[in-house]
Order: sequence, then C-alpha cells, then structure tokens
Amino acid sequence: MGVLVKASGLTKKYGDLVAVAGIDFEICEGECFGFLGPNGAGKTTTVRMIHCVSPVTSGTLTVGGLPSGIDNRALKKIAGVIPQEIDLDIDLTVEENLIVFARFFDIRRREAKARIAELLRFVELEAKAPCKISDLSTGMKRRLLIARALINRPRLIVADEPTTGLDPQARHLIWQRLRQLKTQGATLVLTTQYMEEAQQLCDRIVVMHEGRILKEGTPGRLVADEIGREVIEVRTAPEDDARILDRLSGLDCAHERVGDTLYFYCPDGHAVMKRLLELELANTLIRPATLEDVFLKLTGRSLHE
Amino acid sequence: MSLSYRIAYVFLRNLYSYKRFVVPTFLVTLIEPLFYLVTFGIGMGAYMGAFGGKPYLHFLVPGVLATAAMMSASFECLYGTFVKIVHEKVYNSLIATPVSADEAVAGDIVWASFRGLISGTLMMVVALFMGVAPASLWRALLLLVFLVFIGLLFGSLAMIVTSVAPTFDFFSYYTELVITPMFFFSGVFFPLDNFPGWMKVLAEFLPLTHAVRITRALFTGGPSAGAGRSLGLLVAVAAVAFTVSVRMMRKRLIK
Repeated sequence: MGVLVKASGLTKKYGDLVAVAGIDFEICEGECFGFLGPNGAGKTTTVRMIHCVSPVTSGTLTVGGLPSGIDNRALKKIAGVIPQEIDLDIDLTVEENLIVFARFFDIRRREAKARIAELLRFVELEAKAPCKISDLSTGMKRRLLIARALINRPRLIVADEPTTGLDPQARHLIWQRLRQLKTQGATLVLTTQYMEEAQQLCDRIVVMHEGRILKEGTPGRLVADEIGREVIEVRTAPEDDARILDRLSGLDCAHERVGDTLYFYCPDGHAVMKRLLELELANTLIRPATLEDVFLKLTGRSLHE
Repeated sequence: MSLSYRIAYVFLRNLYSYKRFVVPTFLVTLIEPLFYLVTFGIGMGAYMGAFGGKPYLHFLVPGVLATAAMMSASFECLYGTFVKIVHEKVYNSLIATPVSADEAVAGDIVWASFRGLISGTLMMVVALFMGVAPASLWRALLLLVFLVFIGLLFGSLAMIVTSVAPTFDFFSYYTELVITPMFFFSGVFFPLDNFPGWMKVLAEFLPLTHAVRITRALFTGGPSAGAGRSLGLLVAVAAVAFTVSVRMMRKRLIK
C-alpha cells in the first residue's frame, strides 16, 4: 500500500499558542488511521490541515504527493469531511443540502440525483429527503453529514469525532458504515476520544497530547506494550497499599494509586489475583487491559479542558 | 484572490435558501421605501409645487430607488452573512469543498446585489403605478444594471463591517452612523444646492450621493452634471471595497 498522507515536522501555531508541535506521521492508502487524545491535544487541528481548511505554520504535509494548502482544490476534490460540529445548512432540506454540495464539487445534475438517492439509502434517510434539518434527530444529522461527505466519492475520508453525542444504536450504525467505506477502498482518518471507537475502526492509531504524538501503533500492540494483558483494580484505602504491595513482592507487575483505587498492570493477572485473594479484600476486579488504560497512562488522569 | 465560476454555486445555495422567504422579504423590502414615496412624495409633495417643472414625486423616486438597493444589499451582507458565518456555520462546510473562502464571500456579495436589484425593481414597478416612469425603455434597462452595481458597492462595504463584527449589535454602529445619515444627506429628498458649503463637501464623500446623482440622471434623462465623474469615483470605491472585504473576510474564515 502506498502512502497517501505524509507529515514531517508538521506545526500549527495560533499566535503564541502551539496547537500542533512538529509531528511526523504517515497514513497509508486504504487504512483507517486514528488520532486519539484528550480535548485540546491537537487532533482536530491536524486533520483540518490534512483536508486543507487550515494553513500549515511550518513543516511539510502532503496528500497524494501534493502539498496541502487552503487553495488546493485538487485535494479538496478527493477529500470528504465528516465534521465534529453539525454544520448542515438549516435553511435547506435534507435533499437540498446534498444537491448544493454536489454543485460545489462540479457534479452534474443528473449524476448528482442518482448519487443522492444512493447515499440517502446508504445512511437510511430516504424517507427524510424532503424534511427540514430541524426535524432530524442528532443521529440522523450525523448520518446526513456522512452522506454529504461522500457526495464526491472521496478517496480520503476525514471523520472528526463522528459519533459524539449519539446513542449506542446510532453509533453502531455509523461504525458499520465507516467500515463498509473502508472495504470499498477509501482511506479513513479518524479522530476520537472514544477508545471503543478506535478499537472498532482503526488499523493504526497515534495518541496525541499537547500537540505531540506520544505513541503510534496498532490498538492491540499498544495495549500489550504499554499495559500488558490484564488490569486488576482494588478499591481500598491508601493505608492498605504497603500491606498489599508487600504481599505481591517478586511478581512482575506495575502499580498505580489513583484516588480510591489501586491499579495493577500485569502480563499475568491470575498469579497476582491469587495472592490478592489471600488478603480477603472486599472489592477486587480483574479485567482485560484496554486502549483506555493506554490512553490514561499516556495522557495522564487529570482533566483536560 | 482565488475566484472562479464557483461563485455561481454560492449564489445558487442562497437562491435555494431564499425560496422559503420570498414572500416575507418582498413585503419587507417594499414597505419602508413605499412609506417614503407615499408620505413625502404624495403627502408633502402636494405642498411643494413643481420641482424642476414636474411634481415632487419625480424628484423623489430615483433617490428612493438607489436607497432601496443600498439598504437591501447592505442588510444582506451584514445580517444575512453574519448568520451564515456565526450561527449556521454554512461557511465552515463550504470551505472544505473546492469552493474557496474568497468565492464564498464574493458569492454572498453578488447575492446581496441581486437582492438590491429585486428591491429596486419592485420600487420601480410601484413608481410606474404612481405614474412615474424612467424617460425611456433603454434608460430603464441601464437603471437595472446600475442597481446591480449599487448592490455590489454597498454589499462590499457592508461585508467589511461584517468581517470584524463580534456580534449583531456591532452592526448598529454602521447602520446608525453611516447608512442612516447617508440617507438624509445624499440628496434623496431634496437637492443639495441649498446646503452650506461644508455640508456640500461632506455630501461628496458619501457614496450614496453619487449613486443618487447617477440614478436620477439615468431616470429623468435630464442634464447630468458630474454623473460621469460620480460613476468613475464609485467604480473605484467599489473595486477597493470588494478587494478589502474579501481579504478581511478570508482572515476571519481561515484560521
């Protein structure tokens, strides 16, 4: 697979604020590449530079070999954008939103008509074609955003937190559709704060924090490398820590105290669990390690606002 | 500047949106200028005797025409565009397509000018019913072309204000301190001849003065002292205002 998007030393500054601090990454044709990170990590800024609506401050960024830039119509033509904010045209109906967008991409009227019918079917909104945007639920609006992003049959689809604010049904439907697009050959660039979303969709992810990339890899690899296989959570007062840790001495296991919980990250959770049971602690839980553990470990547990 | 035929797509988007508001906007754009024609033209005009050999209404109509086009275009680029940028976020999705920010802004200015043309044309029809018509058919056609130009000019000027407006309230400065005074000091209601010297000079700095002068010359077919010079000035102002408005708006839209 060839490289579709390539960034090196990519930097974005707003005045003195550094939103993206010299990052490097490559996105291959046909993969789903995810940017994970807390609020303000620089994910959205990065993808906005990829789809050419925000100028690059320094460093290089190419898409399909062409340098990204706000006047690069050739790149905008091959990209489809599913924005974070629902920015449908509320003055127009569902169908008109798509008709107008098709014009923006120079798509001829007849072709647009067929394409719109097909897309409305794809996102299960055929019946809503003549409706006003205000009559749609949030899930329907998000689905319409997907349809709109696909109007030009994009080679590169940029989805910026596409399932924010959705119920599980709507979220799963959107995941289905995004996976379907990938199997049809599109390259997907996703930003998300939902670990499950990243795990469901992404071939490779990078974890961003404060404008930098902290780690890159497949979701499974990252979990295995950073956390291990299992996590044990012990809800107990900090006074017990010494006693518990003493009991576990000699076992290969990292630990962390956060608030009311003592966490153990272990390659072999069962050995640890066996010893913990001997202590007869009231509230102990063993579970598989997840991407969320990686995320919290890398970006810290404090709030990001 | 990055401008192309795609300006037409932005115009088209506005046309789709306009469909739903045609009737109310027709009423609104008609009513205010209509009041001026009825109260000043008919009511007051009755006391004014002949005005250059004709009833006062003949003097008033061209000024109201130019004003109607100015108002419609200005308000479209102030409130209309502001809503699209800040509240509806129409521009956000638009600039992610092959349509550039410059084209989005230019498209809105062209659209505003179209709104000005509609208002002016409606007024012209009303004036016809009141017995005031342009001197000839080709003059009427030239007038329509000039209304489009008035729209481009005042749309661009308003767009500059919108490019720096933090909220709706900001527009009051422009409408109350620029648009309204222009309305009274640009020779819409009476000739400027009796103004003291300094006010005459001031009036020459108001674009509407020139727009009214040209409109009146086109409308009446009478002698048009200074109309050529006025047109030259306005074309220059419009070119500068358009360029500046697109540049400033681009700054607001692209971050």
